[in-house]
Amino acid sequence: MILVDLQIAARNLARHTKRNVFLGIAIASVTGLLVLLGALTAGIRTAMFESATTLMTGHVNVGGFYKITSGTGAPMVTDAAKVLERVRTHVPELDYAAGRVRGFAKAVADRSSMDVVLGGIDIVKEPQFRKVIRVLEGNLDELAKPNTILLFEDQAKRLEVKVGDAFTLVAPTQRGASNTADVRVAAIARNVGLLSAWNAFLPADTLRRFYELKQDTTGAIHLYLRDASKAGPVAARLRELLAKDGFRVMDADPQAYFMKFQKVNSEDWTGQKLDVTTWEDELSFMSWILSGVSGLTGLLIFVLLVIVVIGILNTLAIAIRERTREIGTLRAIGMQRRKVLWLFLLESLLLGVSGTAAGALIGAAIAAGLNALHLAAPEGVQMFLLQQHLTLSLHARDIAGNALFIAAVTTVASLFPAFRAARLKPVTAMHHVG
Amino acid sequence: MPLFVALLLAAPLTPAETLEVVKTIDERQRSSGDYKALAYMESKEKDKTDVVYELVVYRREQEQKFMILFTKPKSEQGKGYLRIDKNLWMYDPTVGKWERRTERERIGGTDTRRGDLDESRLAQEYDATFEGEEKLGSYQTWKIALRVKEGVDVAFPVIRLQVDQATSNVLKRQELALSGRLMRTSYYPRWKRVHSESKAADVWFPEEMRFFDEVEKANSTLILVKQIDLRPLDANLFTKAWLEAKSR
Repeated sequence: MILVDLQIAARNLARHTKRNVFLGIAIASVTGLLVLLGALTAGIRTAMFESATTLMTGHVNVGGFYKITSGTGAPMVTDAAKVLERVRTHVPELDYAAGRVRGFAKAVADRSSMDVVLGGIDIVKEPQFRKVIRVLEGNLDELAKPNTILLFEDQAKRLEVKVGDAFTLVAPTQRGASNTADVRVAAIARNVGLLSAWNAFLPADTLRRFYELKQDTTGAIHLYLRDASKAGPVAARLRELLAKDGFRVMDADPQAYFMKFQKVNSEDWTGQKLDVTTWEDELSFMSWILSGVSGLTGLLIFVLLVIVVIGILNTLAIAIRERTREIGTLRAIGMQRRKVLWLFLLESLLLGVSGTAAGALIGAAIAAGLNALHLAAPEGVQMFLLQQHLTLSLHARDIAGNALFIAAVTTVASLFPAFRAARLKPVTAMHHVG
Repeated sequence: MPLFVALLLAAPLTPAETLEVVKTIDERQRSSGDYKALAYMESKEKDKTDVVYELVVYRREQEQKFMILFTKPKSEQGKGYLRIDKNLWMYDPTVGKWERRTERERIGGTDTRRGDLDESRLAQEYDATFEGEEKLGSYQTWKIALRVKEGVDVAFPVIRLQVDQATSNVLKRQELALSGRLMRTSYYPRWKRVHSESKAADVWFPEEMRFFDEVEKANSTLILVKQIDLRPLDANLFTKAWLEAKSR
């Protein structure tokens, strides 16, 4: 029976090819655009996840603040070995962990200066770091030697330094005494979007000496899970269990650690407090990029959908007007109102499904084509895309979801005209002239 | 001058004498009571326009109270620093918020530190060592090295002073980082004295201070201190409310 209905719906659509082809193209275009923008958002998110979870955060982080006086908090974890031992017990999902010393200093070169966020790493123990960093000049292995630093290309340009050049880092220690460290540029890496605007890396021990920290003190313990999607529940569990172990743990606050200084310094406590965060918390300051793209996508799709819905209402209104006598005859020979409603809905559904299917395929093909072309993103855009080349991330489930959403909207939009058609009285409809 | 007198004058200071010189430096600047000074601060930074600030410095030395109110330029008007116990608070009138800063904070982002405008406490904070004598221009000076005492937090853990032998005024001061690198050189070419009733003696203060950043060589700050007033200030002056009211 459904096949017959489908045949009728298809025949009716085919009778007005031009009108329906235009409407189908509109539906396909909206779907294609939605697929493309969805792939762009997913691409940014993937790039953000891949680079950020290596450069500045783990999937889960056990960081915290140490305060000598209530007004001077420093981002550090004392007794890191003890904390890590408890973490290993509480997180069976853990793949590996890495300590990262955190700092902030002014980099002063001969001709220029800039503020930098410092990450103290142990390059030997973090093999993943090499996969994300693309060295343009120098050697990443040099970063194992003391008093060396890895800069990104824009930082090197701004400081006007090359590999082998030395410059000075200036910052106060936790006790407020001025200190300096002369560092040599070991390598210059390709930019990684916004993240490379201020992050620079040097050996953890160099940074410890710079801040006069003990060997057992680090900035944060980055935890890498076998399944990164479990970061949220793992962080919540860890927060609870570390508190039970007797550590003082800060309340969950989904912000990057450097956004918490003012709040922490205004609180009246001293000593160590741990802060457990996820990678999404640490990157919350960049979520505006994703929100912006998603918001723009939403707005664009909404406007286009309104146009498509108006098109559907208009097309079906014309179709009903043209087929009023036909509807009257069908009703007169016994066709139920529900059947009339069903036939009109089916027409719309058929148009919607074929339009969205074509749109999704075209959108996916364009996205795959753009990926294959390996297009370099303009410099200004790289900052926000967090990638050098335009990379769109295609997921079958997302594409199907987008297509189904548009098909559902077009079908629901046809409900009103379909009801109108079903409500027609046979006698009135048969007498209709037009 | 007989040779033995010259030799006597050139003799190194003993540790006790060195400490006495440092104590004298502090004592000559101590007013014992309240202190109010109008100052001008000119900041020069590489690739930036020079900025001149007008500020009023308030001190109540017996209670170690300290406050700065910026009165010019218009963009900085109403901004202030207030020390409460060990904390230095900064008030930003544009957002109407107080921010807790360390005592070692750079004032207004310049090369000036709170200590440059506050009471001198060198003998309290540092251990002094005599390093010799040197001519600085036409002045005969003692060279004294100061190293921070255990448990005291200061911006510069090592200071080298050149003190005028005739007046015990500091003429040159070099501040070093923990790493031993020279961070800042300061010159005090002009000293002035005013009579303090609370101290019942004269109080000396540097009328001109020149700070040169030794890391970012192009940066420097000049401070001119004018209109020193040592009369008692209002009792409720050193409060957040007073500073906020002044910014309105």
